Amino acid sequence: MSSFDIQRPIVELPDQNPDPEFSDEELVWTDAEEEKIEAWKEQYPEDQAAIMKVLWLAQEKFGYLPPEVIKFCGETLDMSFSQAYGVATFYHQYYKEEKGTYVLDVCTCFSCQVCGGYDILHYLEEKLGVHAGETTDDGMFTVQEAECLGSCGSAPMMEITNGVYVHNLTPEKIDDLIESLRAGEVPSFTSMTLPQDEEELGGNRRTDVESTEAYQTQPRAEHMD
Amino acid sequence: MDANGSPQSPAGDWRSYERMLLPPIQDLHKLDVYTKHGGYDRLRRVLEDDDVAPDDITNEVKASGLTGRGGAGFPTGVKWTFMPEPDDRPRFLGVNGDESEPGTFKDRQVMEYNPHLMFEGILLAGYAMHIDTAYVYTRGEYTDWIALMAEQLENAYEAGYVGENILGSDFSMDIVLHKGAGAYICGEETSLMESLEGKRGYPRYKPPFPAQKGIFSCPTTINNVETLAHVPLIVQEGGDAYSTIGAEDMPGAALYGMSGHVKQPGVYEYPTGMLLSDLIYDVCGGMARGEDLKAVVPGGSSVPPIRADQIDGLSMNDESLGEVGSRTGTFCPLVLDEETDMVSFTRRVAHFYQDETCGQCTPCREGTGWLENILARIDEGEGRMRDIDLILELCDNMDGGRTICAFADGAVGPIRAAVKRFRDEFEAKCEASVYPVSTDVSAGPDSAVAATE
Repeated sequence: MSSFDIQRPIVELPDQNPDPEFSDEELVWTDAEEEKIEAWKEQYPEDQAAIMKVLWLAQEKFGYLPPEVIKFCGETLDMSFSQAYGVATFYHQYYKEEKGTYVLDVCTCFSCQVCGGYDILHYLEEKLGVHAGETTDDGMFTVQEAECLGSCGSAPMMEITNGVYVHNLTPEKIDDLIESLRAGEVPSFTSMTLPQDEEELGGNRRTDVESTEAYQTQPRAEHMD
Repeated sequence: MDANGSPQSPAGDWRSYERMLLPPIQDLHKLDVYTKHGGYDRLRRVLEDDDVAPDDITNEVKASGLTGRGGAGFPTGVKWTFMPEPDDRPRFLGVNGDESEPGTFKDRQVMEYNPHLMFEGILLAGYAMHIDTAYVYTRGEYTDWIALMAEQLENAYEAGYVGENILGSDFSMDIVLHKGAGAYICGEETSLMESLEGKRGYPRYKPPFPAQKGIFSCPTTINNVETLAHVPLIVQEGGDAYSTIGAEDMPGAALYGMSGHVKQPGVYEYPTGMLLSDLIYDVCGGMARGEDLKAVVPGGSSVPPIRADQIDGLSMNDESLGEVGSRTGTFCPLVLDEETDMVSFTRRVAHFYQDETCGQCTPCREGTGWLENILARIDEGEGRMRDIDLILELCDNMDGGRTICAFADGAVGPIRAAVKRFRDEFEAKCEASVYPVSTDVSAGPDSAVAATE
């Protein structure tokens, strides 16, 4: 029997109705948060449109979005659970289960693939002892395979926990990155310079960023020769 | 090639081109620097001059021949004329900054390096179409850039360029930033509208078109970030003058996002109609790893790849790329060298579409999965020779209006072209199969390619 039979293998699905992680006492907005939500409602003709912003806020607050949090977000905007759940499950970036402290989204989409995206992913998997989609035992890192993150000129690259981009990845850069993340230091925003600025502006055009990098192509990994 | 560039290039004398979208000015993203260099002057002129009617802006944009830079390449001015006459309903502008077409990374540079040009373009478009509110829908991954835009937007509000009675006129308009959460399909205009309304990003049937029934069932126009950044330039230069820049069929400046196996990748600004050979060998300094060119994907994942032996004389405009059955798409060419395994590449393309299909229409939801499974089987050396034709047959059953939106067409185009143009590579992998299958009568006469020749 081939492992690539057209019939999909039956996989074990995660528990869709786990015991609630957060109690009713925890599921409340602070005054500052409510103020924000009210302002968001003002931005749209209908309150429901603010659900994406409310889900982002909840994810920041609770770390991830178990069903009771999604229900809570829906109630905030007078939406049914099914409506809110439908939105939360449609988008990749809303975490439906608990993740590590740092979520490492390695881009492996084809622009990164042809520049060694999978080499970086596999290096990271080996280094942290997990497969893509899993979290390390210490709860520190979740490694994920991501679709195009929109920085193809600096391939391979990754995003850390829906935030900062790390460009032009090499195994050495991964080593340094993991070390600094373990020490609690998240890299700062890096501005990618435009090649045409090199001549006309002497490189970077922004004086308000500390870290800049140029788009570059990584040399072919040795084992690929 | 002579010193002034290739004479046959539709981009003309591109070597002496001066950048307009991202001019070489330090800190242009800051409001004070932007206004010092003539920023918002075009908006001020339009609002203060009683002789400039909203329709005049639309006519200038129409005259400029500007086409959408988000991938579909529809004429922008024509799109604007679809908006109905103002009535009591609110009117919206959706600014598409979802930029999730794989291989595309140029809108982000506008957001980071010249956000006020985009805001000014939004306001001019808003004035032309009597818009009340513009929603800038940016992909959720661009957290840092959204924060930067939010800061600059606040400055623009404080300075009176956005909001109530802009620059003392009776024109009022709001700009709202909306953060997505990682869904490729939300770059499709009707899906973007659903997402903005706080629903799953399922594309809608067209018609009704957004101009009739868009966001919250109100008249809506959706434009790409870069497209709107062109508008102040058109108002400044005049539509007719702007239409002389670059290729005739899609004039203007363009941001080329070069990636893949070139020496110097990155985002470059040149006129449209650059020769692919100029872009690869001149602008980007040639191939990075000393290998020969194998293929070019000229504008994002949804456009068919071009073989190296086809690129001679091809330029970055739809007329030229159409000759080899491809399109400019998002103007972001991905360059592949001889070492690239086209089967693995196509498999990854299929995986992307399988992952990102919204699941509404059966041909797309099921078809993308089957395509990926078949391509994976071939890639892993377990393919049958008839799988190659099975892929093509599957493709024929997915595109051509069988689904609500053009996602399936986008998925099928590159896969079909890759299989046809690099068929020998697919056959080579199937020949090595551990499951050799000879002619299968049940699959019909088309598959009569014996696997064990």
